Amino acid sequence: MARQGSSSLPLPFPLALLSPDTGRRLWQVSPVARRAGVKPGMTVSQAIGLCPTLKLCEPDPVHYDEQFSRLVATLATVSPVVEPAELGRAYIGTDGLEGLFGAPEKIVEMIQCGVRNAECGIANESSLVKSALHTPHSTLRVGWARGKFVSWVAASRAKPGQAIIVFPGEEGEYLAAQSIAVLPLDPDTHRRLLQLGIRTLGALAALPEEAVVSQFGRAGRRMWRLAAGRIAEPVVGRVVPEPIVAALTFYSPVGERELLARTLDTLLDRALKNPRRIGWRVHVVCVRAELEHGASWRATATLKDPTADREQSPPAGAVERLAVEFTAFAPGTAELQLFARDANAAARAGRRHALKSAVREIELRIKRPMLYHVIEVQPWSRLPERRYALIDYEP
Amino acid sequence: MKADRLRALNVPQQVKVELSECGDPAFVKRGPENVKRVETVGETWRVDDEWWRQPIVRRYVEVVLEGGGRVILFQDQLSGEWFAQMPT
Repeated sequence: MARQGSSSLPLPFPLALLSPDTGRRLWQVSPVARRAGVKPGMTVSQAIGLCPTLKLCEPDPVHYDEQFSRLVATLATVSPVVEPAELGRAYIGTDGLEGLFGAPEKIVEMIQCGVRNAECGIANESSLVKSALHTPHSTLRVGWARGKFVSWVAASRAKPGQAIIVFPGEEGEYLAAQSIAVLPLDPDTHRRLLQLGIRTLGALAALPEEAVVSQFGRAGRRMWRLAAGRIAEPVVGRVVPEPIVAALTFYSPVGERELLARTLDTLLDRALKNPRRIGWRVHVVCVRAELEHGASWRATATLKDPTADREQSPPAGAVERLAVEFTAFAPGTAELQLFARDANAAARAGRRHALKSAVREIELRIKRPMLYHVIEVQPWSRLPERRYALIDYEP
Repeated sequence: MKADRLRALNVPQQVKVELSECGDPAFVKRGPENVKRVETVGETWRVDDEWWRQPIVRRYVEVVLEGGGRVILFQDQLSGEWFAQMPT
């Protein structure tokens, strides 16, 4: 089963988000801008030419990562097998959930219910794009089918807030009418297929498999099998780390609070440095102490915001053996981690954090925000004032 | 995050230019107290653009002002007005 996020922007004025990578092309556009002919992928100059009143927004990839992580965490409450594919797309393994929820329709309902709750959380935070992303009904699309490809196609064809279910055995029929654009192809292969007059998956699947392989090689075999619904790739869930424990046994019982606090600091450091923790933030911390005469003490804290920062962990009390245990984790993106599972997200978060600090310092010095982002508009223009433009910069 | 309209960079600033006998800029006046003599005249070129909607016809002159500042001057051939721009 696949879930596809969509970002409809119900704003009265034309708005576009710049691409997070280059800043020269548009990434997402609002319906008003779309009506004016502005499309994702256009250059800024093309878009301004079509829609002079277009307003531009810088993207906030760190915020998107955070919201997506929250969404994935919500989905994990429905099924333990969740595979985040890319920002806005996640696969959910639903094998065996029939016993819990019933028919596919009920499973889809559960997922949509969880998604709506997550969206409510997103909507509670205010900012232009956040509110733009929020609509009274869900904007997320769900596709249920056997295998990741068919479910992805179904999700991408569903209307915002709705779901399409493709029952087992109906994959071939469902895929036959779909455009070849849904196949994960490079532009050259896509163009060659169009030149051969193949416009739908049905037309592709109608060809002999070996003929497609002789034209396109190994990639041809894969695309033919995808088009024919012969591949049902399973959802691969993420492995959540086992609890991480750091413990120290004292030679003689210790009652001194300062020494205990220092020991706790050391244990927290040791647990945070555990390689299994990389890419995850700690959600639940448990501190255990074995006391004299066989007694024990235990304190558990669920952190409101999962963290990798030791300052947010709670202090401890008593003392023959002191142990710190991290028992629950959340995907970590708000910290810079060289070996994070989602290295790009972590690097983005690190850069954003550094920029925010720099901006704060500049604002303190000059007392008012005067930071702008230079974007290329018509870098090829013979008129210098047409080449570059400024938009407000607010990391 | 906030949406913003584009603000063009390097917008031409209108100036008054006094020409020499041979027609090259000799003095550039940006205000009553800001008059600079042109020390060197560099390249000159002409731009004809957008003839299909609102024609743009400019004669550009690259100059070095007294004090060493390098400026691009252009004269709008349709209105006769002079403008200064930063070199790119």
